[in-house]
Amino acid sequence: MKISYNWLKQYININLPPHELEEKMTFAGIEVEAVEKLGAELEQIKIAEIVTHKLHPDSDHLSICEVNDGSETVQVICGAPNCSAGQKIAFAPVGSEIGEFKIKKVKLRGVESYGMICSEKELGISDNHEGIMELPADAPLGSSLTSYLKSDDVSYDVEITPNRPDLLGMFGVARDLSAILDIPLNKPQISLQESDEPIEQMLALENIAPELCTRYTARMIKGVTVKESPEWMKKRLLAVGLRPINNVVDVTNFVMMEFGHPLHAFDYHLIDEQKIIVRRAHKNEQFPALDEETYTLQENDLVIADTNKPIALAGIIGGENSHITESTKDIVIEAANFLYSSIRKTAGRLKISTDSSYRFERDISDETAELASERAVQLILELAGGKLLKGKLDSYPNPVPKRIVAIRPSRIKHLLTITLNPQQIKDYLTALGLNFKTEKPDRLEFSIPSYRKDLVREVDLIEEVIRLHGYNNVETYLKTQNIMDREIFYARRQVADILVNNGFSEVKNWNFGDPQDLDKLNLSDQDDRRHNAVLKNPLGSSFSIMRSMLLPHLLHNTLFNLNHSQKDLKLFEMSKIFLRKDEKLASEKLYVTGVMTGQLHDTFWKEKARKIDFFDVKGIIEQILDSLLITKYKFENSEEPYFQPGMGADIVYRNRKIGMLGKIDPKILDKFDISEELYSFDLDLETIFMLSSFLDPVFKEIPKFPPVLRDLSFIISNQHSYTDIVKMIKTVNPGIIKKVELFDEYIGKNINAGYRSLTFSIVFSSDTKTLTDEIISQNLQKIIEKLKQELNIEMR
Amino acid sequence: MEKHKPPIKIISPGSCYRNENDASHSPMFHQVEALVVDEGVTFADLRDMLNIFVKKMFGEDIESRFRPHFFPFTEPSAEMDIICVKCHGKGCNLCRGSGWLEMGGAGMVDPNVFDILGIDSEKYTGYAFGLGMDRIAMLKYKIPDMRLLFENDVRFLKQFK
Repeated sequence: MKISYNWLKQYININLPPHELEEKMTFAGIEVEAVEKLGAELEQIKIAEIVTHKLHPDSDHLSICEVNDGSETVQVICGAPNCSAGQKIAFAPVGSEIGEFKIKKVKLRGVESYGMICSEKELGISDNHEGIMELPADAPLGSSLTSYLKSDDVSYDVEITPNRPDLLGMFGVARDLSAILDIPLNKPQISLQESDEPIEQMLALENIAPELCTRYTARMIKGVTVKESPEWMKKRLLAVGLRPINNVVDVTNFVMMEFGHPLHAFDYHLIDEQKIIVRRAHKNEQFPALDEETYTLQENDLVIADTNKPIALAGIIGGENSHITESTKDIVIEAANFLYSSIRKTAGRLKISTDSSYRFERDISDETAELASERAVQLILELAGGKLLKGKLDSYPNPVPKRIVAIRPSRIKHLLTITLNPQQIKDYLTALGLNFKTEKPDRLEFSIPSYRKDLVREVDLIEEVIRLHGYNNVETYLKTQNIMDREIFYARRQVADILVNNGFSEVKNWNFGDPQDLDKLNLSDQDDRRHNAVLKNPLGSSFSIMRSMLLPHLLHNTLFNLNHSQKDLKLFEMSKIFLRKDEKLASEKLYVTGVMTGQLHDTFWKEKARKIDFFDVKGIIEQILDSLLITKYKFENSEEPYFQPGMGADIVYRNRKIGMLGKIDPKILDKFDISEELYSFDLDLETIFMLSSFLDPVFKEIPKFPPVLRDLSFIISNQHSYTDIVKMIKTVNPGIIKKVELFDEYIGKNINAGYRSLTFSIVFSSDTKTLTDEIISQNLQKIIEKLKQELNIEMR
Repeated sequence: MEKHKPPIKIISPGSCYRNENDASHSPMFHQVEALVVDEGVTFADLRDMLNIFVKKMFGEDIESRFRPHFFPFTEPSAEMDIICVKCHGKGCNLCRGSGWLEMGGAGMVDPNVFDILGIDSEKYTGYAFGLGMDRIAMLKYKIPDMRLLFENDVRFLKQFK
């Protein structure tokens, strides 16, 4: 539904600019879907004056004018018969846009024209294209047409929720806004001058379907002049997306948009035997509607009929056989109400949807019908003249008494937590049109106006109170208390899961440690891990410190299992280690340590069993860090005293050591009575979690162009690490070299000692274009050049 | 609520189906609905819960607001918006200039619902809300097109660990 800002201003004095009003409507519960600035298309059209006028020498209908638009005078060719010097006109200068096309300098029959003098049709104001639009002599020169015509309006496209049919008209919206904004509401003044002729003498009414038609009123006006509506009426209708037709029909549409209650007008002389019958349709009755379709009706469809034929499909659409035409002199105004479910069923079955059916389907009010009728009649008298017959025909079989609903201030506090005194509640609800009836302890009773059928129970009134008070004015009082860090909780589980999924078993050892284990691992006296918390009353000397490393216990676990014929072991422990330097209390840090020995996988007849090696442990570390979104870490030669020389690596991230991995020196393992090969790894989870930012991934566009793969094989000295090679290759063209992976390594015949042959697989991919063979070859060349230059490679 | 007496606190994620299919709608999508029923449950509890959720999900600087709306099973009913995560309220193409993004619907459970289920609507109050999970994922990870969530391109899947 469309709402016009200017129209609303007729009922409430809005001081807010259009976009602020939009926000207020949203907070009233009226959802604004789109806002359109009307008249914008006429902004560029200026009010100008024809200074001189003469006929075109080479044409019999063109004239050459000098047009002054307030800032300059230009020559304009005009093809209209009615242009003359001294006229004020609507002028579209060069560069302005009118409708679909842009005004340019043109030459007509050899004479140049800089701009266009417009007709009403060209401006979209009316269908008049007989000549140019003439403006009054006092029209301000140079002003834009929009501000002169006051057609600058703002139209809001809104969504009204199904529980608020009272908002399906400008006045209803204004009424709600007056309560929300706490400003007075200007109701349209209605005073009718009736003639002496009673309507009963001219027209009869019979409602034989009172269960479907809950009210039917009819008024009559004799002697109207059906013609075009005045400008103000047309503007109002256009602003809300309706097409002006003639003054009588326009008034019915206007009042429908004003009060949200549809009306209909009949040509009195087309009503056979001057009798209106509200009845169900006959089976297969034919009805020719205003939309030029003929509908086949059934017995559940409600019609407005005369003694011979249906003249309207009640509440949905009028008939072709009874509508207002230019020759209509006497009219009947219908204002009625129908059972919403009946309208919905009929409209649904016949697949008709009109502004009228839309409103009746939402259950509108019997009382508003009467108000709408009076308003319509007043406007028709004003616009079309005529004489209003005395009285109205009114079939109102079951008037519904006004509902009384009570609200308890204590319940408002109970449900909404806001405390309001009775006066505040009264102010809010009476602003919406409710009538305050009685006050008792903790109970205020209100009579509900007929247009608010949605207010039935206390909780409905409570919703109105919070709506006016402001949904966002409810005080918040919940405070969150972080008892634990969820992210770390889940990250810990994630790390453990990865290890378990790699075939590890989680072990749990006592936190008591043996200082002699630290000796066995060759830790120096200055090593931090020697600063232990010592127990005053240990179980024994092997349990005399709080352990500062998890490795020793894992080695004991390994021995235990080896002694029980379990040779293939992958064990890990995730626990706190304890360090105590000079502080009173030891510090605790979360670590995960793992050991691996024996076969990598369980024996499987199809695959050759293989022993665990360094790269398996490295792979585990990479999986874990990868899952924590840590990617920019390095491996450096480890100084740990228990790794086999050259077989240990420290993991460094953001300049801090976050762990280590490697093959344990057999001489050290011997001290633990272990004669098998064993690898271990450690991760300082405490530090890792502190350094990781638990950032959310950000979507990266998927490349639209296919990638290209190329292999590169070369011989290279062992002194260059794989990481360095990859890095160097990528720097050649980081934009398109997306991935570099080691494919194969070959040491042996034909390769000198200290050298190896490596094959890399390189993936090229571009986000912006398909990569041609030429581009790929060029890049490969560059890579080879660079590797030759920096790393002294030899191509294979 | 037919089978269990209050207090009730339920979070229920599930699949939903609607006949729409474009960059921001999928015929099958996911919602999380919540229902809390107990003595003394208030509108402020609902407001707070969603406010805290929004901040935890999108960051401390993301504000939320309630607007009046209508659902047949809640009274008062509301819709919740969050400050546009892209422009932070200034207005952009994601929020269509409004500065706010719609998050979902919420409200206090309509007493009629309790009455039908034989729960004392004087004694018990409750709130309910529904949020779109796919939408939240798209906002959080800046995924531009909903269809990516169901296309299952590994180059997309691998971006999320």
